[in-house]
Amino acid sequence: MTDNADLEALRHEVRSFLEAEKPQGWRDASRTQDDFVKTQRDWFAKLVKAGYAIPHWPAEYHGGGRSLAEQKVIYEELARADCPRLLLSFVSTYHAFATLHECASPEQKAKYMPRILEGETWCQGFSEPGAGSDLAALKCKAVREVRDGREVYVVNGQKIWSTMAQFADMCLLLVRTSSEGVKQAGITYLLMDMKTPGVSVSPIHQIQGDEEFAEIFLDNVVIPVEQRVGEEGKGWAVAQATLASERGLTLMELSYRMRGALSRVASLIREHGHEDDRGVLRDFGELVTQVDAVCAIADQFLDNRIKGIERMGDASIVKNSYSRALRAYSKLGLRLGGMSEQYIAPITFGDLNTGNWMADYMNSYAWTIAGGSEEVQRNIIAERMLEMPREPKNWVL
Amino acid sequence: MIELNELTDAAQKAFPADKLSPDRDASWELMAEMGWMMIRVPEELGGLGLGRDATTAIHYEMGRVLSSAPLIPAQLGLQAILASETLADKADWVERICGGEYVPLHMRAARLTPAGDGSLTGTISGVFEADMASTIVASLPHGYALLPLDAPGVSLVERPIWDPSRRMFDVVLDGYAPDPALYLADVKGAPAMHDAIAPEAHLAIAADCLGGSAAALDMTVEYMAMRKQFDRPIAMFQALKHRAADMKTRIVVADALLWSRVHDEDADIIQFGAMKTLAGETYQFVTEEMIQLHGGIGLTEEHQCHLFMKRAMLNPELAGEPDLWKERMGREAMAKLG
Repeated sequence: MTDNADLEALRHEVRSFLEAEKPQGWRDASRTQDDFVKTQRDWFAKLVKAGYAIPHWPAEYHGGGRSLAEQKVIYEELARADCPRLLLSFVSTYHAFATLHECASPEQKAKYMPRILEGETWCQGFSEPGAGSDLAALKCKAVREVRDGREVYVVNGQKIWSTMAQFADMCLLLVRTSSEGVKQAGITYLLMDMKTPGVSVSPIHQIQGDEEFAEIFLDNVVIPVEQRVGEEGKGWAVAQATLASERGLTLMELSYRMRGALSRVASLIREHGHEDDRGVLRDFGELVTQVDAVCAIADQFLDNRIKGIERMGDASIVKNSYSRALRAYSKLGLRLGGMSEQYIAPITFGDLNTGNWMADYMNSYAWTIAGGSEEVQRNIIAERMLEMPREPKNWVL
Repeated sequence: MIELNELTDAAQKAFPADKLSPDRDASWELMAEMGWMMIRVPEELGGLGLGRDATTAIHYEMGRVLSSAPLIPAQLGLQAILASETLADKADWVERICGGEYVPLHMRAARLTPAGDGSLTGTISGVFEADMASTIVASLPHGYALLPLDAPGVSLVERPIWDPSRRMFDVVLDGYAPDPALYLADVKGAPAMHDAIAPEAHLAIAADCLGGSAAALDMTVEYMAMRKQFDRPIAMFQALKHRAADMKTRIVVADALLWSRVHDEDADIIQFGAMKTLAGETYQFVTEEMIQLHGGIGLTEEHQCHLFMKRAMLNPELAGEPDLWKERMGREAMAKLG
């Protein structure tokens, strides 16, 4: 356990670094996707060098070996300084890292971990058009063959909702190697180079004009068996390591950022001359308290994890309460902005609280739908926290 | 040093979850015996010297069982006496209260008009269980004071309320002449006393709301697991299960804000009031869903749903209405985020 004096020293150190080095005007520099990607790469490189990009990695990596309490301090300061969130490198530093660290062979670790720090980015090839909330129903097919004397998997299928796959170098890929037995049992986990022939990526145009996600099409893609993580047919367990890689820090950071961004609502109220409108003030006051409460639960969740007393379902509560507050935040802005918000204005990539209220509103759906939809989280809360019975299986139409 | 969970365990043993609104007078006696009025009293005055986390934990447990004994107004009255810098025989009052004498603070505003001779006429509202009180702590035009209920010009009028777990009274003054020796804070000291006690009231009410919400959810989930329709427990239907999940989510989140305020030394009165409002609205949401998910039985007097709902509807009206705190929170945020 790190003691409080050490944490305060770390806080001071991070704060001084950010005062000197934090990117200025990054929102204006993130108006196009290309500029956003450049901003992200620069900021990640700077944080890697300073030792703040991968606090959750083991100590043998520069900037690693930080306790969860220390990680929390770093994220609090990044949010406080309103720095860009590390989005482009998120999958590589959390999902790919956790997968490699917990499940991969020494050769795989030695090959890929340093490359992540050099800026190689990863995407996740998990969801499919027919496998969203029911991820284990995935169909992307891999057949084991020998080609040119090497054992390989030949993969065919389609993946969807892969965050920033269009910029990714590597992919964490779930494939089906068997249709026997329960659906989880036939899943295998592969690491795929995105430059392999047969891989094509097509960005998904979202309703707000962003392209945060992409589809990945796999047409006879040949992946060597050495690229498999864990045993064949045991990929579901590896996928759990991937999905459990980040729990709590992001939502705490986002909650704090939303609290900071309440000033955007205040400006709006002022611009529209509502400072003495008691109805508006009440709505704003209610939102402020809702956001305070979300910060409190996100904070408490992390503290419980630090103490090792996290309960099943806690993460779902944090996610659902954050995403609902985010929706309420953007809707209040949208309402107060009135007709002005209906004229198209430039969007900012990589930020959820931009003050472009229509874009922020549309963006907020990413949090009620992605990463386990609100409804799936409700099932988890009801079935695992409240111990309510599951629906019967083998339902037939 | 007494741990919080020891207090909680003792409270749960003394007030088991399956017995809602146990007899008021017996409960009050038990509370005094268990030393609950001594929790916040400093050690030098013979108390336990515990912090607001301890009273919050107790109020939460009493909320769970819809306690009919007025621990909250009693604690607030005691807080005012403890905070007084002028009351001469403070130690004596504290001792009497710790021994079980009931000296509550009123939970609604006082509307009083002073006459030329300083005597007061008007109404002090929101006095819980005034029939068992000897004296109340009242906010008078010239400050906070102890007000003996047997003094000339003082009478009690019961105001029947929907919530059957409590009784509420108006203290009606007709030319009551305040006793200068009973002042707790004069006009200058009154705002500071108000700002010291109001957060205590908000924490207590919020804890009552969230304890009640937790009990209401437990009962609802239990009922849904037992009640069968279409050959299955209704808890199996996703449409209903999701509503229980939302009840849980709102309770856990409001709970997190309550406890973060308990430990926040810098929070101001508005932040406490807004927290209380969130807890109160959570209680209202949970009990509304409780009745709906119980179906017809939830509308009957014999079932317990309505007891929770009625308490949930009353609580937010205490120590400042929801609209007041929302507006003040909005104004404060405008000023801070300027």
